[in-house]
Amino acid sequence: MTDLKSRLLIAALAATTALTAAPALAEGTLTVAQRQDPANWDPVDTFLVAWGSVASNIYDGLVRRDENLDLQPGLAESWEVLDEGMRIRFKLREGVQFHNGEPFNAEAVKYTFDRLLGEVGGAGPQQSNYTTIYRVEVVDATTVDFHMAQPDPVILTKLSGYGAMIVPPQYIEENGQEHFDMNPVGTGPFKFVSYEQGARIELEANAEYFEGAPELHGLVFRFIREDATRLAELQSGGVDLVTDVAFSAVPTIEAADNAGIVAVAGPSIYSLALKTKDAVTEDVRVRRALNMAVDKQALIDAFLAGRGSPIASLQGELSFGHDPELEGYPFDPQQAMALLEEAGVAPGTEMTIDYRAGNSTFNEVAQALTGFFAAVGLNVGLNPVEDGVFLNEIVPQGRTNEMYQFSWGGWTFDFDNTAYLTYHEGEKWNPYGTSDEMNALLDEQRQSPDQELREEILQKVAQLAHEEAYHIPLYNEETVYAVADRVEGFVPAPDKRLRLTDVSVAE
Amino acid sequence: MQPARGIAPRAGTSPPEADLPILSFILKRVIQAGFVLVAVTLFVSFAIRLTGDPAVMMLRESANVTPEDLARIREGLGLNRPFLVQYGDFIGGLLTGELGNSFFRGAIAPLISGALGATLLLALTSLAVSLLISVPLGIYAATHRGSFGDQLVRVLSLAGLSFPNFWLGIMLVLIFSVTLRWLPPSGFTGPQSLIMPAVTIGVILTSTNLRIVRTTMLDVLSSQFIMVARAKGLSQTAVIYKHALRNSSIALVTYLGLQFGSLMGGLVVVELVFNWPGMGTLAIEAIAQRDYPILQTVISILAVLIVAVNLLVDLTYMLLDPRIRLE
Amino acid sequence: MTGFKNFEFVAGLVLIVLIGGAVALSGLLFPDGGRAMDLTARLTAPFTGWNHPLGTDPLGRDILARVVVGGRVSFFVGIVSALGAVVIGTVVGLLAGYYRGPWDMFLMRFADIQLALPFILLAMTVIAIIGPGLDRIIVLMIVAQWVQYARLIRGSVLSLRQAEFVQAAQSYGLPDRKILFGHILPNAMGPLVILATLNVANNILLESSLTFLGLGIDPLVPSWGGMLADGRNYIQTAPWVTIFPGLAIMLTVLGLNLLGDWLRDRLDPLGATK
Repeated sequence: MTDLKSRLLIAALAATTALTAAPALAEGTLTVAQRQDPANWDPVDTFLVAWGSVASNIYDGLVRRDENLDLQPGLAESWEVLDEGMRIRFKLREGVQFHNGEPFNAEAVKYTFDRLLGEVGGAGPQQSNYTTIYRVEVVDATTVDFHMAQPDPVILTKLSGYGAMIVPPQYIEENGQEHFDMNPVGTGPFKFVSYEQGARIELEANAEYFEGAPELHGLVFRFIREDATRLAELQSGGVDLVTDVAFSAVPTIEAADNAGIVAVAGPSIYSLALKTKDAVTEDVRVRRALNMAVDKQALIDAFLAGRGSPIASLQGELSFGHDPELEGYPFDPQQAMALLEEAGVAPGTEMTIDYRAGNSTFNEVAQALTGFFAAVGLNVGLNPVEDGVFLNEIVPQGRTNEMYQFSWGGWTFDFDNTAYLTYHEGEKWNPYGTSDEMNALLDEQRQSPDQELREEILQKVAQLAHEEAYHIPLYNEETVYAVADRVEGFVPAPDKRLRLTDVSVAE
Repeated sequence: MQPARGIAPRAGTSPPEADLPILSFILKRVIQAGFVLVAVTLFVSFAIRLTGDPAVMMLRESANVTPEDLARIREGLGLNRPFLVQYGDFIGGLLTGELGNSFFRGAIAPLISGALGATLLLALTSLAVSLLISVPLGIYAATHRGSFGDQLVRVLSLAGLSFPNFWLGIMLVLIFSVTLRWLPPSGFTGPQSLIMPAVTIGVILTSTNLRIVRTTMLDVLSSQFIMVARAKGLSQTAVIYKHALRNSSIALVTYLGLQFGSLMGGLVVVELVFNWPGMGTLAIEAIAQRDYPILQTVISILAVLIVAVNLLVDLTYMLLDPRIRLE
Repeated sequence: MTGFKNFEFVAGLVLIVLIGGAVALSGLLFPDGGRAMDLTARLTAPFTGWNHPLGTDPLGRDILARVVVGGRVSFFVGIVSALGAVVIGTVVGLLAGYYRGPWDMFLMRFADIQLALPFILLAMTVIAIIGPGLDRIIVLMIVAQWVQYARLIRGSVLSLRQAEFVQAAQSYGLPDRKILFGHILPNAMGPLVILATLNVANNILLESSLTFLGLGIDPLVPSWGGMLADGRNYIQTAPWVTIFPGLAIMLTVLGLNLLGDWLRDRLDPLGATK
């Protein structure tokens, strides 16, 4: 921060001197612009994709997930699932060091998970994702056993991200938690250099990285909140890669002479949840009619620049549990009107959509949805709600209107994550309840280590949800990056983490 | 006005008769300022605790949140303590400079010092630019009253007040960064980063300052003592610089004091457009995350600043024009 | 000088009558309220056909209709919040100036507190508590602005209280209410009208800022601020989405400022509103 202060001072003094154009980038440095500053680099303190995109370059987990979402060895060379899923044994990589020179070993793994599952982790949001781990036991310097409280089919995937990133015990003990929050140290391909809150974090290549040094010398992330400003930075050459690109900006970048679009299938799905209690939507015919009133492809073409696909359940094609056989309700306004009439819903009936304010794309989608509903005779209003209120008071308390936004982007790509949360009794996103059958199915697949059986059950869950029309599933959006032409080798992963080891920049 | 009790002017420095009213005036203003600050901080830290639960914000994207998770986080953040205890902590921190920790972002003090520096730099640059433009133009307009130039100045200053400032900012970025690629569109990468945000804020300041300079100059120029001065043979330049400008500066200083609060408010929007790492950007993030410690500190420090500026204005006022004293 | 004054008056009046007239008649001109969407005609460029003379927005809605209808919100917010602030400010100012004492204390201290809070941050915090909406924005603006009027009126009352005609009225035993509203208020009207005119202009700008920050109103109701915010992502590919509402704001505010300036010279020779 003193750095920023002194720079501001210099700027004040120099404000009247000659002006130069935007600064040229140093050789081999890539600058990324993203919307959000996670503001804290400790793996146990965050749930933000904005953290993942930066920190995937600083930390490693025991396992790593590649661009095809397959699990690969990370800091563990191999692993075995034992005792019917109650114990997992990891064989660790040897000779790896943290950026501060501290050795990586079994003690570091134990420390990481003791910390995550103990008091430090308890004050943050990550602990709850890993409570199926009972304890971690050091077998020898390069072997650890994870003892499970219950079998967890998704645990290996979870070990590849966020809270499960391995942290350096001595460094944290010597410098304290607060220092670690702002000065991260891991084993990853890039080392932390400096961090200016709200502005930027700078990293440099870790020449000793166990999979070989990255192609870049330096990696800078800048935090720029406004969509239009991030884009302007790209166009004026201030940054090389922009994340969270607004779909409305896609044509602009496609037309730009120094940049292009790179898109990849993503985890995020958008839908409208329907209120199944004490509302006109309690009648399943009404819910089906609402589904038939919406032309999903038209929404995708108009507001997603075509970068998305319609969905029939609350998951995309990459998700474990996706059923290609399941077809969504057709776009059929005639049939929708017939169903509404059958259900005794008079033309001009008023309904309201609650949705999260702040996402410019969904704001347009919501407005267009009211147009589709108007075409089948419904008078639908909009109620944009600020995130905090929406997630705090409206949804979990069951105070929604007839329709409310449900969008989710579980990075595990396992339908369990989304389905449990939206259909199981007592969950945050299921304020109005589903059915006993649904609860039983969801519990059953959680207990089962048999992945084939799980997939079958999850597809059944999707089928059941489709028949009951609990939601209007809308679309699965692609993740869109705007990339300067001088960037080479950028292949994004679908989980929005941004591991930039193979990327290079041309001069 | 009663002389202040307990504050005696130090013997031998100056005659007590002359100092007492000023001292008690200052003391009264300081007490008022203190009252205002207590009310403001109390209001702010109470109001922000009604905006929602930071624990829920922290876990908002988590799949399985139990009430125990929430309670554990609230406990960790110190939110289970009574409001007045939390408020007392906050005020104690403000007074001692130990600003404590944000809910999400580590220690507050370095955050604030960086953001405050950035905001003040932007505010003072805009102010300097606007004075450099508005004072000469205002003098010109006043001394060439009714001329084409005067009318042009007046229409331009009215037009300058009619822009939505964020719109102006976006337009500038479009022209100077995207199309011409002359200036960096955002953040702080060097002195050239200051230009567009300072111009955006400067346009409004300049327009208002211009009008104030022009009007007060006109008032003074047509007043009796100037007539007398002219009759005595004082040159036009001397009249303008010795008398008229002095009076204009009194009006300007007062205006700036009164408008300092809305200048800070206007900065919020402009900082957002230019991703300027200042207090506004900090506050907007804090509101979104329900980061009580940061938000209450930012608003309170801005309030302290505004109150201090107004206090200074009142005192400057007395210095610039000894006739205006003690209301 | 008089030439310029006439120019100010005529230009201001023409702007306000034209824009205000169109807005007032918007119900007749555009019975659909600018809401009809057509996704197949989205982002039509302006001046390319009679259907959509000023083009269409990202949802294929007619921009001309939305600009004209959208003026309702701007004028409504601007005028209602200014009126509310005038009424409250006048009453408090009269009481404070005439009776002094606790009223005066309350007013001046409240003014100090209100002056010390950056309005936009305060508005964002309050909206986070009570939720967004047109009514809340109006209330917030009234809360933020009534003090200006109260101080203005208080000042006028303080100087008028000593005036001969007030002293005379008091000696006739006229009730305070009659003195305040029958004698003092009419004499303080000029500055009040000027300040109100300028504040209507200011409030229109403020409403657009708040909407831009996402604190605004029902997205289905067209408003100038909302159109600017929604159009900002299209500024490079479809600038007309933002240019026309931006122009509407500018011209309206300019018109009000011109009129306010003209009024100032007519009604406030003493310069109380400077």
